[in-house]
Amino acid sequence: MAETDPSLIQRAQKGDQNAFAALVDEHQRYVYNLALRVVKDENEALDLTQETFVRAWTALPNFRGQSQFRTWLYRITTNLCYNRLPNLRRSLNDLGDDVMEDIPETNLNNPAIRFESSETRTHLYKAIDELDTNYKLLITLRYQNELSYEEIASTLNLPLGTVKTGIFRAKEQLRTSLAHLEESWIKN
Amino acid sequence: MDKKLKQHALIEDALKSQIVAPMPRSITTEVMARIQTADAKRPAIITWSDFAFGFVIASCIAALWFTSQNLPPILLAKLRMQSILLYQDFMVNSRWLVPTLFFGLAVLMVALTIPTLIKMTVDRAR
Repeated sequence: MAETDPSLIQRAQKGDQNAFAALVDEHQRYVYNLALRVVKDENEALDLTQETFVRAWTALPNFRGQSQFRTWLYRITTNLCYNRLPNLRRSLNDLGDDVMEDIPETNLNNPAIRFESSETRTHLYKAIDELDTNYKLLITLRYQNELSYEEIASTLNLPLGTVKTGIFRAKEQLRTSLAHLEESWIKN
Repeated sequence: MDKKLKQHALIEDALKSQIVAPMPRSITTEVMARIQTADAKRPAIITWSDFAFGFVIASCIAALWFTSQNLPPILLAKLRMQSILLYQDFMVNSRWLVPTLFFGLAVLMVALTIPTLIKMTVDRAR
């Protein structure tokens, strides 16, 4: 049976390198994915992933388990991203924390939406890829890594309002892009 | 369905169905090789200077306690009286010293904090 994260972490904290190797195996894909979304370069993302785990090993004795191990790794990764992209931190801080309207959760089980979703999905993927780095970082943490708003705020060391504003604005950009696509369909 | 809600649903769907990029290659071997090198050695949580500092502080406290325990009662009473007199003298003749001391303490705190804050700002900007 595969060993669980907490026992691997405990062993790695005591200096067990095999346990740490198992942790690297398990989490590298997610760390790499986050790095790739931010730096947009495969080699640089690999380098950042490697650096994240080396730093994680050094700092592991200080890991107290207040957050998930992966969330802790994301924090190290984003700090490294801040070092590589000096404007990223500033652009995140500049998002502010405006009051925004609350959009309710939508049911995606409607077949009509599902159909149209497959039609427009390619366009939306492209639009997501073209988002500014700060928005992409927030979106990746929220939807790919499934972190809560509070966890993102803690990971990026940002106010909760800023995180919510950033994700809201990213979605607004995607909505504008979708509206343009729909308009082009009507024109044609 | 409201157009905006529909768009929102499509966006949520696209965001949630994004594919996690596969790793081009495993980095486990490289990471393990790096953590075995000297630069990735874990720093000790408690250093020798922490031990030395702790030892000196503990010795001072112990010396003070032993001294107070072994002083003759008459001397203790004299000391208490002298300290009360000193306090009263201080309150009457050197009241100006109170804000000065507080100001000095504030300056000391600032001097200790500012370099760290500057370093944090520089690190962040880098």
